[in-house]
Amino acid sequence: MRLACCFLLGASLVLAEPPLSIRLAPGDDKTGYRRADYQTDSLSLARRRGSAIDLAANARAEHLGLPPLADFQVAAPNAGAIQLGRKLFFDRRLSRNRTMSCAMCHIPEQGFTSNELKRPIGFEGRGVKRNAPTLLNVAFNQRLFWDARERELAQQIWSPLLAANEMNNPSVGYVLDQLHADPHYRELFQQAFGEPANILNTGLALAQYQQSLIAANSRFDRWYFAGDQAALNAQEKLGFRLFTGKAACSSCHLIGAQYALFTDHQLHNTGVGYQESMQKTPATVTVQLAPGVQVAVDQKLVSTVGEAKENDLGRYEVSLQPADRWKYRTPGLRNVALTAPYMHNGEFLSLQAVIDFYNRGGVQHELLSPLIRPLGLVESEQAALRAFLVALTGGNVAQLVGDAFAAPVGDTTASPQ
Amino acid sequence: MDKPYLPFYKLATVLLLLAGFAVQADETCMSPYMAKIVGQEDFVYVWTLGEEGLGDEQDKLVTIDVNPASPNYGQVVHTLSVGGRNEAHHSGFSDDRRYLWAGGLDTSKIFIFDVHSDPAKPKLHKTIDDFVAKSGGVVGPHTFYALAGRMMITGLSNNKDHGGRTAMVEYSNKGEYIATHWHPTDDSLNGAEKSGKYADGYGYDVRVLPRRNAMFTSSFTGWSNYMMDFGTMLADEEAMKRFGNTAVLWDLHTRKPKKVFDMPGAPLEIRCAWQPNHNYCFTTTALTSKIWLLYEDANGVWQAKAVADIGDPSKVPLPVDISITSDDSGLWVQTFMDGKTRYFDITDPFAPKQVYEKVIGAQLNMISQSWDGKRAYFTSSLLDNWDKKGDQDEQFFKAYTWDGKELNLEFAVDFKAEKLGSAHQMRFGAYGLYGLQRPYAARDIAAGE
Ligand code: HEC
Ligand code: HEC
Repeated sequence: MRLACCFLLGASLVLAEPPLSIRLAPGDDKTGYRRADYQTDSLSLARRRGSAIDLAANARAEHLGLPPLADFQVAAPNAGAIQLGRKLFFDRRLSRNRTMSCAMCHIPEQGFTSNELKRPIGFEGRGVKRNAPTLLNVAFNQRLFWDARERELAQQIWSPLLAANEMNNPSVGYVLDQLHADPHYRELFQQAFGEPANILNTGLALAQYQQSLIAANSRFDRWYFAGDQAALNAQEKLGFRLFTGKAACSSCHLIGAQYALFTDHQLHNTGVGYQESMQKTPATVTVQLAPGVQVAVDQKLVSTVGEAKENDLGRYEVSLQPADRWKYRTPGLRNVALTAPYMHNGEFLSLQAVIDFYNRGGVQHELLSPLIRPLGLVESEQAALRAFLVALTGGNVAQLVGDAFAAPVGDTTASPQ
Repeated sequence: MDKPYLPFYKLATVLLLLAGFAVQADETCMSPYMAKIVGQEDFVYVWTLGEEGLGDEQDKLVTIDVNPASPNYGQVVHTLSVGGRNEAHHSGFSDDRRYLWAGGLDTSKIFIFDVHSDPAKPKLHKTIDDFVAKSGGVVGPHTFYALAGRMMITGLSNNKDHGGRTAMVEYSNKGEYIATHWHPTDDSLNGAEKSGKYADGYGYDVRVLPRRNAMFTSSFTGWSNYMMDFGTMLADEEAMKRFGNTAVLWDLHTRKPKKVFDMPGAPLEIRCAWQPNHNYCFTTTALTSKIWLLYEDANGVWQAKAVADIGDPSKVPLPVDISITSDDSGLWVQTFMDGKTRYFDITDPFAPKQVYEKVIGAQLNMISQSWDGKRAYFTSSLLDNWDKKGDQDEQFFKAYTWDGKELNLEFAVDFKAEKLGSAHQMRFGAYGLYGLQRPYAARDIAAGE
């Protein structure tokens, strides 16, 4: 209890203003769209407003349930660098044709991922073969990307900035030229780093913003780490017991004694990737044409208008070891209720679909992790597990999203012509 | 050309004299505020998408000579590359018809071409590249619809989530930003009546019926979907939830939304009837394959009704462009997937009946017909990443004549063989509009047409 009280005090110092009512879901919420009685729940973009918060303070603060950032950080939080990184993150001009920012795929109110697509769309509409991970608590990931191919946030930025199907910049130098040419960026880089933009400090700035996106102090944390019995209800507590017991989720999604990252930082084969690569192509695709209207469309017709799906072999693509086929990094599960659709390919649209999958024992094949097996969870147990996962949403996500709403979106302003 | 702007009535008189027969306008989807061509159009301007690996790979305005009396008849007489692949899509003339505004759905750039100085050789007059910033975050300028002294531009998306919530944006003829009109959403109906279950805030096309002070908009989808590989999207259940299901009636004068209609399955092009006592407009839903009628009922209240199916909706034929005849008796409907054009008899607007169909190509999107309905032009491309793949990705411009019973192919331009790109929207040009003489001797072409 004491800890919880102190933390809350700390958190209130972090906040500039009381939290606004911010929807932690797409502003254009399509819940229930499959049903004929679906009603829209669409918010005007004018209402997408929030207040800036002190992100450096958020980065430095103790967050109930998480280890200190100091053990993971790229560099000590620095307000100037964070502000610079925040501006870069939302700047659509940072792509070759000035339409894609980091935030177009890592959308703040959509859990800093994209709820509206299984796999995001980049430069000129080119597809990216994996689901975009959340950036909340990304600082605590020891390795980055679903196949763990990258080590540090400050390096990671060059992958999307240069990838032909993401932001498609022709070179590092081209990106730096753009930043050097912009008087506002020149000034911000001087202030934050005392030098012009370069390959290192551009990465540092974006890393500084991303590592400040710490969201914990969930109801689970208040119950488990601060002993607040009322923070979780009986169903959620049952879900916890299943998560750590009968369903053995915590053998990979770890919960420690002092804190919980819900990941072992290892790679496992759960069968999701195997299924995607090896299953026979179904004869029809079920297509939702409108609320309550679905049709089965012949796969042959769909393939006349579709590119062949890119294969995904997981960690194997990095290591070239056959044993690594379809192995993916265990994602942390904090804020998981906000980050649908799920898994490296966005295959599952809901937490229930994920639980169904684990309950079936994943997909049987030679390389399946021995930790994945049929679980025999009855319906009430599945509901409890789901309720537990929903209780992992951080208490301060709305503030971080509100801060993102307050950030300027970079678009072309001057007309040189 | 240093002539001042010609008001519609003067221009019409001039043209009537030039052409010698009494019709009022060219293709039938133009704004009623616009100066009109009469008789034979000289050019079709095709706003064309650049394709990777083809020719110069960039978007361009392609000018095709379509006057049978011209020595260049049936030929590409000019191309103007604008730089980049912007997802070239639709275009529209300013009300004085001297400029053609053409948009890019990806980069949100707007290219304004001077088509009056030399109608055979359009020039790039101005590029607007700050549309998104100026409009307050609207992405994907789609329809360019002339109002008096203004250009009304519909958006498809926004710069916050690349989803479907969007706005109409109003510009002056000079290319200066004036106002943004957001489509009504559940929390911000802005005075509109939500007549059904939906108020999604999506946008697509705009048309007006000035005599009823009515403006109508339809609804499509956001950047993520219209830019995405079509096959991938069909299989993405999340993406398929992000389509517009509404049409909106606006007060044309005040630009305020008045009524939101449920219209499930992405209503696209809107075409209003021309006859003075016909207070209705048609649209078609792309995904659910229906013709919808927006009409004023006996009490003067605007209503929406699904009045016909297009092909077999369960096969998703994907109706895209439509075109109404100037006497309001027929509606051409193009279905993308089967490459067909279909002609509906709409003499009873509440009961359209398909009376003719013809396969134009492996895929089909746009149609432009002459005011007299005797000529119809077709192009192939829908959206860069929605177009068919491989051999079926035919890219063409095809010119037909229509005798009321049969479409007869007059000539075709293969946009791939010519290394041009993917042919999208068409607009007509004519020397007579600007008081210019055709640079070749007139021949009698009326016979046999
Ligand atoms: C076109 C969409 C897109 C854009 C733009 C984009 N990302 Fe991502 N991001 C993704 C996808 C997809 C992944 C997962 C890729 C993988 O695992 O192979 C990812 C992964 C990441 C990760 C790794 C997270 C983890 O937990 O492993 C970080 C960090 C990240 N992106 C930050 C950024 C930043 C910073 C930018 C802008 C410079 C950016 N992204 C732009 C789609 C995008
Ligand atoms: C063998 C280790 C392992 C076990 C046991 C395990 N997981 Fe996972 N989990 C993973 C891996 C690896 C992934 C990513 C798989 C992929 O994308 O293909 C994952 C993904 C997830 C995701 C998707 C998260 C996201 O952001 O997309 C959820 C939710 C999840 N697991 C919940 C659970 C639950 C609940 C259990 C217990 C029923 C469980 N996991 C058991 C390793 C494990």
